[in-house]
Order: sequence, then structure tokens, then C-alpha cells
Amino acid sequence: MLARLPLVLFAAAALAIPYSVQRIFLHTGIEKKMGTVQKIFYFHVPLAWIMMALAVACGIAAAIQLRRRSQLAESISIATGELVLITGLAVLVTGPIWGHATWGRAWTWDARQVSTGLLWLIFAAFVLLRRYGAAGSERLAAALAVFGAVDVPVIYYAVKIWKTTHPSTDVVGSLPPQMWASLWPALGALVCVTLGLLLVRIRQEQDQAGLDEAWIALDTGGK
Amino acid sequence: MSWITSDLRAPAEAKTPADDGYEPVTGLDQGTVQCVRACEAEAAAKTASDYSHVVWAYGVIWALFAGYGILLWQRASAQRIDTAELRRRIDRGASP
Repeated sequence: MLARLPLVLFAAAALAIPYSVQRIFLHTGIEKKMGTVQKIFYFHVPLAWIMMALAVACGIAAAIQLRRRSQLAESISIATGELVLITGLAVLVTGPIWGHATWGRAWTWDARQVSTGLLWLIFAAFVLLRRYGAAGSERLAAALAVFGAVDVPVIYYAVKIWKTTHPSTDVVGSLPPQMWASLWPALGALVCVTLGLLLVRIRQEQDQAGLDEAWIALDTGGK
Repeated sequence: MSWITSDLRAPAEAKTPADDGYEPVTGLDQGTVQCVRACEAEAAAKTASDYSHVVWAYGVIWALFAGYGILLWQRASAQRIDTAELRRRIDRGASP
């Protein structure tokens, strides 16, 4: 059942994506101040939530890996780290596209943008270290992931602590029901896609570890 | 054309819609028409620009996910080849 879970998630996403897009464009009113471009919100915000959740998961898995040297925790940290890179890039591209239309500038160097950019750079370093680092670098990479997870509360509270061009965190809570009804399917679709890719990547990493061990055992004659 | 001039000169005498269904066109002055057209053009340009931004944003998101999916598929293919090679080596070693 677990092996088929990614397929189930991708099938659910294949249904949820067209449903959410038609809800966003055909059944949700145009926001008065920003106009049509506000429709980027329905994918930009859930992606930011997913990115932050993945960064925290990666930090926790990396901390477990550092403490217990667990293979599963290592696989989870690698998979979540790569997906932080993908979702983070999506957030960092869609945000400035929205900002260009709404604020007149793509990048305003506000605290939330900078802290999100910093998170992406930390996880880029994590992924590069995991991929190209020498023996023993996995511990350094794990420490980087823990450090990256600490940046998540900074991103969340950036709009409360500093004066930013981003709206406050209260905006999402005060959305009209019609917008919530479009936000949920978009969030569901993105969660299904991300979780499906995550499970595939964890499985791959565990298979790779098994393969590496088998090759070593074969080359050393099982000694 | 006499019916037009008669309506313009003496609007009070114009026939009411109840008489024969005819209703004189009052129209908008040229300044109002131009202002409305300018607003419409500006709104249309804003909507077109907004849609362009939205399409780029959505395109980037799904291109990134698709790209990562292709990367995972390539890795899986490489693992399948590696597993097959390992199995061949084990079978060769096991055979007398």
C-alpha cells in the first residue's frame, strides 16, 4: 500500500489541479485593490506554507540523523531538503512576479523576501553538500539543515517584527469564505504533488543506500 | 431627416414610447465618451498585464515540479540499470 501511495497522491492531484484552477478563475471574484493578478496568491501562499513545513521537517530529520545516525532520517532529510529547494524557488519566482504587478517592483528587499532568500540559500548549500561533499560532510549538511529550520520562524514573524511591503499574517485569516473555498483545493493539490514526490524521493534514497551496501559487500566478498 | 430635426428642436413635442415604440436617442457628450473609452482601455491593459503575470507564475510553478519529476524518473532509471548490473554480477559469482 505504501509503495502505491505516491500514485494515489498524483491521481488525487490530477483531479485537484483542474478543479482548483477552475475555482480560482471562474468562481472567485476579482480582488478590488490588486485586480486579476491577485490570483497568484492561491498558489504562492500554499507553496510558502509547504516550503516552511518541509524546512522544519528537514531540520527535525537532520537532528535525528545527527543524534542516532538513522538511515530513514537521513533519507527524509535529503528528500525534504531537495523539495525545499523546488518549492522555495517557486515561491521566490512567483512572489516577485506578483510584486512586479502590484508594488511596481519585483524585489523590495523587505524582511520576508530576504529571510526566504536566505532559507533557499541555506538549503541550496545543504543539497550541494549532500551531493558533492566528501566523506563526513553529511554531518555538516545536517547541521546546516537544523540552522535552516531555525530560519522558518524568522520568515513567519518577519512581517510582525519589521516594517515590510508584505501584508501581515492576519490577512489570510480575514479572507472571505469565497477565497477560502478556492485556497483549500489549491493547497490540497500542491500538498498531493509535493507529498507524492517526497515519498518517491525517500524510497529512492533508501534503495540507493541498499544498493551501495550490496556493491560494497560484493566487492569485499562479504567480509 | 425631418423627424430628427423636429425632435431636436422641440423635444417636448416628441412622441412618447407609448405612442409608437419610438424613443429619441439622448446620447453622451463627446468628453464623457472619450473618458469612458480611456478608462476601458486602461482597465483592459491592466487585465492583460495581470493575466500575463498570472500565466508566468503558474507556468514557473508547474515547470519546476515537472522538471523535478523528470529528474526523479531519470534517477529511478539509473537505479534500475545499477540493480540489473548488481544482479548479473551476483549470478556470475554464484555460478560454478
